[in-house]
Amino acid sequence: MEKVWELYEKGDWVVPFLIFSIYLFIGASFALYVVIIWSRNKNISREKRRIEYSQLIEKLMSAVVFENVTFSVINEDKNSATLFKKAFFREVVMETIINLHKNYDGVFAQKLEQFYQDSGLIKDSFKKLRNFRWEVKCKGITELAEFNINEAFETIITFSKARKKTLKITSINACIKLAGTKGIVHLAEHPDPIDDWTQLNIIGAFKMHDIGDTKGVELLLESKNTTVITLGLKLIKELKLTQKLPYVSQLIDHAPNTLIQYEAQNVLQTLTV
Amino acid sequence: MSLLNNELIWFLDVYIVLILGYAILIMSWYLILAYLSTKELRSYLKKNSFVDYEVLLTSDYAPKLSLIAPAYNEGFTIEENVKSLLSLNYNNYEVIVVNDGSKDNSMEILIKKYDLVLTDFDFHEQIETKKLKGIYTSRNAAFKKLIVADKENGGKADALNVGLNIAQNPYVVCIDVDCILDKDSLLKLAKPFLESHGKRIIATGGVVRIANQCVIKNGRLVEVNIPDSMIPRIQVLEYLRAFLLGRMAWGRLDGLLLISGAFGAFDKEIALLSGGYSTKTVGEDMELVVRMRRYMLENKLPYSVSYIPDPLCWTEAPEDFKIFKKQRSRWMRGTIETLSFHKRMFMNPKYKLLGMLSVPYWTLFEFLAPGIEFIGLLITVIFILFGLLNWHFFLLLLLFVYTFAVFFSVLALFSEERTFHKYPKHADFFKLLLAAFIEPLYFHPMAVYAALVGYKEKIKGTHGWGEMTRKGFTKKE
Repeated sequence: MEKVWELYEKGDWVVPFLIFSIYLFIGASFALYVVIIWSRNKNISREKRRIEYSQLIEKLMSAVVFENVTFSVINEDKNSATLFKKAFFREVVMETIINLHKNYDGVFAQKLEQFYQDSGLIKDSFKKLRNFRWEVKCKGITELAEFNINEAFETIITFSKARKKTLKITSINACIKLAGTKGIVHLAEHPDPIDDWTQLNIIGAFKMHDIGDTKGVELLLESKNTTVITLGLKLIKELKLTQKLPYVSQLIDHAPNTLIQYEAQNVLQTLTV
Repeated sequence: MSLLNNELIWFLDVYIVLILGYAILIMSWYLILAYLSTKELRSYLKKNSFVDYEVLLTSDYAPKLSLIAPAYNEGFTIEENVKSLLSLNYNNYEVIVVNDGSKDNSMEILIKKYDLVLTDFDFHEQIETKKLKGIYTSRNAAFKKLIVADKENGGKADALNVGLNIAQNPYVVCIDVDCILDKDSLLKLAKPFLESHGKRIIATGGVVRIANQCVIKNGRLVEVNIPDSMIPRIQVLEYLRAFLLGRMAWGRLDGLLLISGAFGAFDKEIALLSGGYSTKTVGEDMELVVRMRRYMLENKLPYSVSYIPDPLCWTEAPEDFKIFKKQRSRWMRGTIETLSFHKRMFMNPKYKLLGMLSVPYWTLFEFLAPGIEFIGLLITVIFILFGLLNWHFFLLLLLFVYTFAVFFSVLALFSEERTFHKYPKHADFFKLLLAAFIEPLYFHPMAVYAALVGYKEKIKGTHGWGEMTRKGFTKKE
């Protein structure tokens, strides 16, 4: 320490410091340049491979959906079997079948769901749920919900209590898709405030997945958490659940604050006109 | 003689330590901000990949917005610009175009093209403004979102205040009418208003990028290009540094002082309670943010200012030095005026991070930096004249600053590459890389000169914006 202080006092440090810094900046700039070039080239080759894989996958999926070809038949082909072992190929397959599943209904959708299970992609999704990174968990949740894997419900619902808001929203949305109101009734006991963005997503999920059975929504009105009550009121209003109006009337009489009372009156008025 | 020599040596030592200390301080700050920005950017992008903006688009609960677009002599492009504002992806919004006493035919064009009629529009004038000649709405149901206010010329801040008075929605989005907005820009800008956790979001700002020579079709950006001329090209780099490596960090620290006047959203109630835009400064965008924050802090109201890193707004940058100088000198005047209006915030713990960090940062590194550079240059010239300059040390110091400047620009390019990747062509990347090497020698001295002109104008008491001629977006063939 004394030596450093002496060096500082003498002023001898200035020139070595400047020279060191110059070399450091030049080195760092060059390193960043190399990484940028490497990253660009990597992206280009990845994109090329993606296009190549997509063409092949489209043919395979067309066979699965329209010609009743199963995964075991596809896997008999050596080339396909090798490709299915590659993580990137599986990733592209996953993206493709998710897109297809969003566009198909009925038998076609069921065939895709079957393929998802037979090809082991379902295992990849479950594996993602165990990943420590929240964004990977979100991906797994989205995949499992898309293919209506009800066994995943119990695991996914645990993430709805996560601290990370995005994970929380993704899991609640997935739970709504998988089990309707069963996916949100636990929110009645939710201790933290649910912000407007999360509420909007929950309402959006109900609308998007066309949840018909809304049994249990009224439980949200009994919550001690005022943001949960607000969510319940919004759901009743947006989904036009006139059968829940007696619960809204009860809430008006026992509202925890005037704002909730006003919101409840507003819902009642909107739905009775 | 030896006493004089000793004093001279002492002065030289102090000068060197001060200059070097200032350089190290500013560089360290930039690096800290870059680190925080990178962290915040990564986190934002991760979160954003799971966000479904469709939810906001289809919901009645989406925040209701009023877009305020002041227009002055925009006749050449106003029809197209208003059309693009009316076709944004959002439901709950209105567009208020404020014609600020244009001398051209802007108003006639608007009346004719949008079938406008004078309306008896009911509103409460909460901020005093120049005389309003009339408010127009369209007879055509397709343009029911459009409101046009015609007023006497009073400057941008006055026009924005008229918009604030007229706005019927709780949030206002203030934009430059000639900016090109991303189709989803309002969805992204509105989202933070729904995410407050006990804190009121009083403003959100988005990233502004340079659109010179980009391809624009029907008021939308369809192809991103790098400008051919060096001045706007370097500004592309400068904006990348400022927005990707600077403001993102201030957003994370919640110490953002500036939301670009080209594109920002505000909580109307707080903006009005704070007094609206100040007509006494040309930096009305920064001044409003500081005043709103000050209002919240002085009234002990929990609040936050949010920042969106997506490139949502594209603007035309000055192409020649004359216009560039006008723009930058005005920016400097705006900074000086804002800092002087709110000087009591400087190092005042009552204003928390804002007083202890943001305002000192702006004072030391934005307001004083050009002056310090100029004084440094003067002293160096004096040293050369008197044969006192240690050339070895001087060149090392110069190289130290130059290599850092290049490094920091490359870091901005790296950040852009790993995030938004808006310049995928190799040629464009190399053009920007070359610009990073040229900037400290060519562009930076111009920027410092323009800032010094800003000092001079402030001392002389110059007011107003001056004429800002725009070339219009030129398409690259």
